[in-house]
Amino acid sequence: MNAATKPGYPRNAWYALAASEEVTDAPFGTRALETPVVLFRIDDGSPVALADRDAHRPYPLSLGRVEGDTIVSGYSGFTYDRDGTCIRVPTQTQVPYGAQIRSYPVREHDGLVWCWLGEPSLADRRPPEETPWLSDPAWTTFGGQWETTAHIQLLHENFADITHVAVVDPVISPPALSAPVAPPLEVRLTETTVSFHRDWPPAPMPAWQAAMTGTSPEQSYPQREQGAFLSPGLWTDRWDVRVPESAGGTQTFRFTHAVTPVNSHTTRHIWRVSRNFSPGAEATAAIRPIFENYYRRVQEILQTMQRVIDADGYGDEVSVAADVAALQVRKIMRRLLADEGP
Amino acid sequence: MTTPTMVREFEADLVVTDAIVVADDVVGLTLAAGDGSPLPPWTPGAHVDLVLDDDLVRQYSLCGSPGDRRTWRLGVLRTPDSRGGSKAIHANLHAGVAVRVRGPRNHFPLVASPRYLFIAGGIGITPMLPMIAEAEAAGADWRLLYGGRKRASMAFLDELATYGEKVTLVAEDESGMLDLDANLGVPQEGTLVYACGPTGLLDAVEKLCVTWPPGSLHLERFSAKASAPVHNTEFELVLQRSGLTLAVPADKSVFEVCNEAGVSVVGSCLEGVCGTCETDVVDGDVDHRDSVLNEDEREANEYMMICVSRCRSARLTLDL
Repeated sequence: MNAATKPGYPRNAWYALAASEEVTDAPFGTRALETPVVLFRIDDGSPVALADRDAHRPYPLSLGRVEGDTIVSGYSGFTYDRDGTCIRVPTQTQVPYGAQIRSYPVREHDGLVWCWLGEPSLADRRPPEETPWLSDPAWTTFGGQWETTAHIQLLHENFADITHVAVVDPVISPPALSAPVAPPLEVRLTETTVSFHRDWPPAPMPAWQAAMTGTSPEQSYPQREQGAFLSPGLWTDRWDVRVPESAGGTQTFRFTHAVTPVNSHTTRHIWRVSRNFSPGAEATAAIRPIFENYYRRVQEILQTMQRVIDADGYGDEVSVAADVAALQVRKIMRRLLADEGP
Repeated sequence: MTTPTMVREFEADLVVTDAIVVADDVVGLTLAAGDGSPLPPWTPGAHVDLVLDDDLVRQYSLCGSPGDRRTWRLGVLRTPDSRGGSKAIHANLHAGVAVRVRGPRNHFPLVASPRYLFIAGGIGITPMLPMIAEAEAAGADWRLLYGGRKRASMAFLDELATYGEKVTLVAEDESGMLDLDANLGVPQEGTLVYACGPTGLLDAVEKLCVTWPPGSLHLERFSAKASAPVHNTEFELVLQRSGLTLAVPADKSVFEVCNEAGVSVVGSCLEGVCGTCETDVVDGDVDHRDSVLNEDEREANEYMMICVSRCRSARLTLDL
């Protein structure tokens, strides 16, 4: 009954395993979906993702080196091409039959490297979502990443309802969120996505935003909140403050959250904050700590929730109307997981 | 005080970019956004509503590739339905015409399996096309039994020809009906059965699959299951999240009562077929009357279709 999250997550999804700058011609080892993965770039610059384990001995390829279009084990010297096929061994001319490691479909766009670790034939049939604002010069973007010791579902449910922001972090919180009753929530569903928005009545912008834009902190503006669960690995949210054209025009933040289960207790969270106003580095330096503090605070809270679950199990939960998006996301995650079979 | 919440499905005016006859009385429609922007993602088994009129809504399976995010393909059979939905589609939806589309949604998802038996009757072939493509790509062992009145009425035969012997075509005027006994008579462990087509075919498939392992059979119906007339009783309805207690009289559905109380519920067919109004059940002895849930799901009592299903106990509590 209204049972909260259960362990498990869909494997058939695109997950961001790294930021583009982490993937170079030196092997980058990481873990996702309880699987060791090595990422590197071949000569033409394209990223390659392989199982991070030499076929010969239990030694990570990420401790080896990239040579042209191949990766060489730092212990056995076995050499693999971009498809994971062993093409050379040091001790004999005959390459051992069946010496092959798994390779994973990779897509790189807008500064993130997405991998498909599930059923390989589905990768082309489930194209990754687009995030053009992350590379569009009209938007200024900063961000960070870390691991949160919590199940991915706890992160999803946090993104699905931001009314907690006013409680968790009064500094970052737009004053609009402190209204005694939240305005109507409008939720839009498709088979595998959930999006929502709320139109907040006019309220001042947070003091830090007024400071960075030189806008009056007392002046009230209508504001719109939007959020979208686009896939098990991606949320994109936005916040518009409708400043009149005469005073500089609408100020929009876009928030991108790429989440990847490392395992059923740990989730990698790559976050990006993009804005279409005050593009300067100084403005970024002023607001970065504010966002970082808030996301850190959320990280701590979700880790605490996971500890409660670990100690006392998933209990029944009381939901409120504002949870409707979270409940729909839960339903989609449950279905996508069920589709992968027993 | 309750904060109103509106839940709606994605809805947009799409443009018909192509309309071609793919068999007798069957038109294949290709739809796209007017500005070419991406359409929502979907998976095999999904369907959409074509909203032809405020209260003339028809459901059609998506039968193209989920990998194509710019266009959707549907196959529409002209049927003698009372309201003329499919007739209007055949008559009016030509290339360049706009049509309102809602969805997609999926109550017929393809669950990963090493083996499948697909059974299609007539236009029931449409959801099978993307399923077969994925089963084939994943290297699953699959077969399709596809029956129709006559060969000329069977759509997409050219696409299916590429699969060779995995496909068994049975045109009734040449060789009678699909041999269901031979294919379903002996339960097969590890094989999932997907069936879509006319009621008679699905009832026969359902009957034969009774002895199969639970969860083997997945089917999608075009119209509500025929059932004996049932007596409606009144019951109390508790909406947990909204904090409301309402009365459901014998002549109203749970869906109608919620709507009238201003609680946003999503519905589409309102006859227990499309699955849009599926709602989580917190407590109550649900009298399932839909054509979406199978026996196991009914017994689990976790969800119900609030457009048609009711409650045998005095009180029904829903997660709304």
